[in-house]
Amino acid sequence: MKEKLMFQNAPHVRQSESVVTMMADVVLALLPIYLMGVFYYGTRAIFLGICGVISCLALSAIGSLLLREKAVFDLTPIITGLIIPLLLPANIPYYVVFSACAVAILVVKFPFGGTGNNLFNPAAVGFASAAICWPEKVFSYPATMQNLEIFGEVTAKTAQSPAYSLSLGAVPDYNVLDMLLGSAPGPMGATNILVVAACGIFLIVKKAANWITPAFFLAQYSVLCLLFPRIGGSAFDALCYELFSGMIIFGAFFMLTEPVTSPKRDFGKILAGISSAIVVFLFRYFGKFEMGFASALIVMNVFSPIFDSLCENVLHVYRHKDSIIASFRKKSSEEKAEPEIPEESLPEETLSEDENPEETEEETEASEKAEELSGEEAAV
Amino acid sequence: MSFFVKGILLEQKKEPMLTRSTLVMRQEFEYFDCDFEETPVEELSAEQIIEIARLAEIVDECDGKMLWEKLEKSNLGEGGTLIVDAIDDEPYISSQMSICIHQPEKLSLGIELCEKVLSPKKTYIAMYRHILDSNFGIPGKIGKYKVHKIGGRYPAESRVYRHIPKGKNSVIVGACAMLHLARAAEESRKMTSCFITVAGDVVKNPRNVEVPVGTTVEKILELCGLSEEPETIVVGGSMTGRAIFEPENETVSATTRGVIALARSYGTYSYTCIGCGRCDHACPKALSVCSLRKFAEAGKFDMLHQYDIDMCMGCGACSYVCPARIDVAASLIKAKKQIELAKKEGTL
Repeated sequence: MKEKLMFQNAPHVRQSESVVTMMADVVLALLPIYLMGVFYYGTRAIFLGICGVISCLALSAIGSLLLREKAVFDLTPIITGLIIPLLLPANIPYYVVFSACAVAILVVKFPFGGTGNNLFNPAAVGFASAAICWPEKVFSYPATMQNLEIFGEVTAKTAQSPAYSLSLGAVPDYNVLDMLLGSAPGPMGATNILVVAACGIFLIVKKAANWITPAFFLAQYSVLCLLFPRIGGSAFDALCYELFSGMIIFGAFFMLTEPVTSPKRDFGKILAGISSAIVVFLFRYFGKFEMGFASALIVMNVFSPIFDSLCENVLHVYRHKDSIIASFRKKSSEEKAEPEIPEESLPEETLSEDENPEETEEETEASEKAEELSGEEAAV
Repeated sequence: MSFFVKGILLEQKKEPMLTRSTLVMRQEFEYFDCDFEETPVEELSAEQIIEIARLAEIVDECDGKMLWEKLEKSNLGEGGTLIVDAIDDEPYISSQMSICIHQPEKLSLGIELCEKVLSPKKTYIAMYRHILDSNFGIPGKIGKYKVHKIGGRYPAESRVYRHIPKGKNSVIVGACAMLHLARAAEESRKMTSCFITVAGDVVKNPRNVEVPVGTTVEKILELCGLSEEPETIVVGGSMTGRAIFEPENETVSATTRGVIALARSYGTYSYTCIGCGRCDHACPKALSVCSLRKFAEAGKFDMLHQYDIDMCMGCGACSYVCPARIDVAASLIKAKKQIELAKKEGTL
C-alpha cells in the first residue's frame, strides 16, 4: 500500500472541469462556423483554418522554446488560430493569416509570459495588425455562394458588406433574414448570425464562457443603436442591421468572453460589457474602419485590471463592514455624549466624563434587573 | 449577500455512511471513580458535571480543547445560545450527523447536562443540509432540541451564527463530546474512543466507525476493507485534511473526523492560470483569490495584507473550482503562515 501513496495538497476532491475541457468546448463551438464557411465559400474555409491553427501551434512551440519553459499543451493557440481566419474574408491570402497569427502569438502572447499573461486579446490584435497592413485585402469581401480556389490567385466577385454601407449612412442591400442566415458578404465566420449565436449559447451553457459580459454588451449596444441610429427607416430594422453587421455577435460571444483579458468578478464583467459597448459604438459611429470591434476590444482590455481593482476596493469595504459600522457608531455616540466640549480640553476631563455615562447605564440596567426580579417574584 | 459571497456546491456522498449505524471496534473500556457515582443523572449539579467531564477526559472534537475547561470558562450571561455542532459540510464526512440520527437519546441527555452547566436561553443543533440531498431525512427535532438545517453552499460553518440574536454570546460544542458526556455521567466511562468516517471510492464498506483513540489508519482501513490499492489516503476532512504516507504509523486522535482512501491523486498542477475568476467567486469570504495567489508567489507581503489575507479560513473552495488545477488554497495558507511568522519576529 505504501509504495503507491502520493502527496497532494488540501482539497482532495476537485472539479472535473479543467482548462483543457473548457478550451475543447470553445474549439467544438467554433467548428460549426467553419462548416458554414465551407457552405458559402467552398473548401478554402477549411484550409484557412488549418493554416491558422498550424501557424499558431508552430509559433507557440517556438515561443515556449524562447522562454525556456516546459511546453504545456492547453489548446489556447488552436483557439487563436481558429478565430483569426473567421474574422478575415474568405479570399484572404494565406500569408495574411500567417502574419496575423505571428503577431498574435509572438507579439501579444509570449513577450508577456505565455498563456494567461497576455494583456490584449491575441486574436483581436492579430486582426488589427492585418487590417493595418493590408486594408484593401482585409476589407474587400467576396460575394457568398461561390466556390473559391484553394490555392493560387483567387478570382472572386467582391461585394459591399453591410457594415461598410452602414458606415456610409446607406441602408444595406440585404434584408434581415439574409443577414441572419449569413448570405450577406462579410468576415468569413461572423456573418452567420444564427449559427454563431447558437454556438455562443452552447459555450455559455457549458460554462466555458460567462453570460454576463455578452448580455450586458449586447443590451447596451442595442440601446445606443436605438438612441443614435445611423440610417433612416424603422428603428427595429436599423437595430438589426447594426447588430448583425460586422462582428458584433461573434465578438460578443467569442472574444469578449476570453477569460485572460476580461475582469474576474461579476460586477467588473457588467462594467466591462457596458463600457466596451460604448467604445465599440463610438469606434463604429465616428471611426473610418468599418470593423471597429477589434480596435475597441484592444482599448477595453487595458481597463480590465482597473475594473478588478475597483471591485476589490468595494469588497474591501464589504469585508470590513462590521468594524466600519462599529467605529462609526462609536464616533456618533461619542459625539452625542460630548457635544460641546472644545478640542483643547479633551485629555483629562473627557476621561472622567466618559466613565460617567457608563456607570449611569450600569446603574439603570441594575435597577431594571431588580425591577424585573421583583416583578417575577410577584408573579410567582 | 450572495452577489459577493458564493461558496461551492459539493456532491456530498454521505448516504452509504448515514443509512447504516455506527460500527464499533472491539475495545476495553476504562472507567473513572468519583464520590457522586451513585447520584442519579437528573440530580447532578453543575460543578459535578464539570468534574465528570474532567475525570472522563472529554475532548471537544470541534476545536480540540478539553470540554471541562470550556464549560468552566464560558460565561453565557443572560440569553446566551448553546450550539451543538453537527454540521459536517465536507463530502464523505458524517460522523457527527450519524450520532444525531442513530443515537438521539444519548445525545439529548448530553446536551441536557451541558445546558445545566451553561444555562443558555436557547439551544439548538446545527446540521448541514445539502440542496441535492433532499431525499435524505434530517429530523426536525432531536429529543426536545430543535435542529437548524444550514443550507447553501460548502463552507457552512460561518452561517451557524445566523440564528443567534444580535449582541448575545454563544458557545459551540461538538456532538461527539455531548455523547461522551452522557456516557460518562451514566456509566462513568472515560472517553477512549472517537467517531470517524471511513469512506472513499476504494473503500468496500464505507461506514462511520467508533475506534479507540490511537488506532492506526491501516487498521481502520482493514476494518472497512479496500477494493484496490489507494493512491491517496487522507486523514481529516476531504476538503481540509492532509495526505499521509505511512498508514501503519499514523494514528487517529479525538479531533480526527475521517479517513478517506481515494483511487487516484490529482498530483501537482500542469496548467497555467488563465484568470477565469472562478476562485474569486467561490471564496466564502469574498477575497480576491486570484490576485492573492499572484502576490503570494511574488512574495509581496504588504499587498497580501492589504488584500486581507488574514481573513482566509483555508476552506479550499478556490482549489476545488480551479480549472487549471492550481493549489491555490495551499499557497495562500503558506503565505498566511509566513506573514504570521514575520509579524512575530517583528520584520513586517
